[in-house]
Amino acid sequence: MILRPFTVVLIVPTGVGASIGGFAGDALPVARAIAQISDTLITHPNVLNGAQLYWPIPNALYVEGYALDKFAQGCWGLQPVHQNRIGLILDSGIEPDLQLRHLQAVDASRATLGLNITDYVLTDAPLNVELRMSESGASWGTIANPDSLLRAAEKLITQAKVQAIAVVARFPDDVGSLALANYRHGKGVDPLAGAEAVISHLIVRTFKIPCAHAPALLPLPLDPHLSPRSAAEEIGYTFLSCVLAGLSKAPQFVTQGTEERDADRERKHTQLITKDRVDAVVIPATACGGSAILSLSGRSTVQIIAVGDNKTQMQAPPEKLGIKALQVNSYLEAIGVLVALRSGISPASLGADISPLRCLSDSTKQI
Amino acid sequence: MTTHFISAEVDLSDTAEELHSAIETELQKHGEPLRWAVTDVDVDRQKAVVEGYVLLESPIAPSPATA
Repeated sequence: MILRPFTVVLIVPTGVGASIGGFAGDALPVARAIAQISDTLITHPNVLNGAQLYWPIPNALYVEGYALDKFAQGCWGLQPVHQNRIGLILDSGIEPDLQLRHLQAVDASRATLGLNITDYVLTDAPLNVELRMSESGASWGTIANPDSLLRAAEKLITQAKVQAIAVVARFPDDVGSLALANYRHGKGVDPLAGAEAVISHLIVRTFKIPCAHAPALLPLPLDPHLSPRSAAEEIGYTFLSCVLAGLSKAPQFVTQGTEERDADRERKHTQLITKDRVDAVVIPATACGGSAILSLSGRSTVQIIAVGDNKTQMQAPPEKLGIKALQVNSYLEAIGVLVALRSGISPASLGADISPLRCLSDSTKQI
Repeated sequence: MTTHFISAEVDLSDTAEELHSAIETELQKHGEPLRWAVTDVDVDRQKAVVEGYVLLESPIAPSPATA
């Protein structure tokens, strides 16, 4: 009997040049390993999406970043599902042949994986994504027509009653740019990731249903020096399969309002996962300044584990932000810490040196 | 609706939760915070550098065909 499920949140922020997880789903092995020693793993599309590649992890919850922030704040709960009915938004700025490639990827996911994808909508205007890099070195971007994106989502929700939305937007090919060359060689920052996050955040924030994004791009010229970390994005025509697989079992979001109205509240309460369930958070050591980590670090029952060798462009380590974290060198070490925590063993007792007991002074001097 | 990129400096707080609240308050001056992160910390000046997006909202506009 599990008295308290051991729940771990794994975060690798999107578009900040994480040396592990900043490329084509290359933190997926970390997620798989952590899932093995957790009852529930909560993580986000940037960790699990490997374009054509993905891996079904039965105890992993695929939670988009905006929803993860709301979950960590205690505003939203996560309701596991057996399957979501998925709708697809295609950017009308995608060329007809490339649109067809994506529709065929959807058909493949329906026929070969059994996913429930019923309808798609072409946006009523091209989304016109533009890419930028910030002063800190993070990628970001804009969409010229966010209202067109939201109208398409509204149509899928109201007319097709979908429970999750996959978005494919046409992104600039940017062939020949230094940023793209670096990315393909396993260096630098994913130039697309920041803009992708804006797209999914907009839909999740507005409609409170699971959403993830795949960019539409033309195939790149063959590169014999392609990094293994980036290779998953160069073995097919679309990046959509992983998104559809992830969304098919992504948890629904239970906001305070919807929970009150739900007639089946009792059943939901037995399954609903709230921030109180979180036992540990694993995060790159230099990227502790996001909303979710600042929210969760305030809870004394949550162990923050900061991983040193997952370098990022950020300069926000836990000690500078007032976050009490256990600093480790690697994910291998983090997994060891998680095993100790799950076993009820203080990680400090596994080292050679054990610090002496502290004697707290009694300032009131009462006897 | 439009999205805007914002860079700001926020005073460091005693706790991470207070810092979270201070960042949201600062970004709300520009719109509804959509995504943000502390990207750097200046310990000497006790400042956190924040980058993020905010949303300036209007009701979802009708489609061009019906506008």
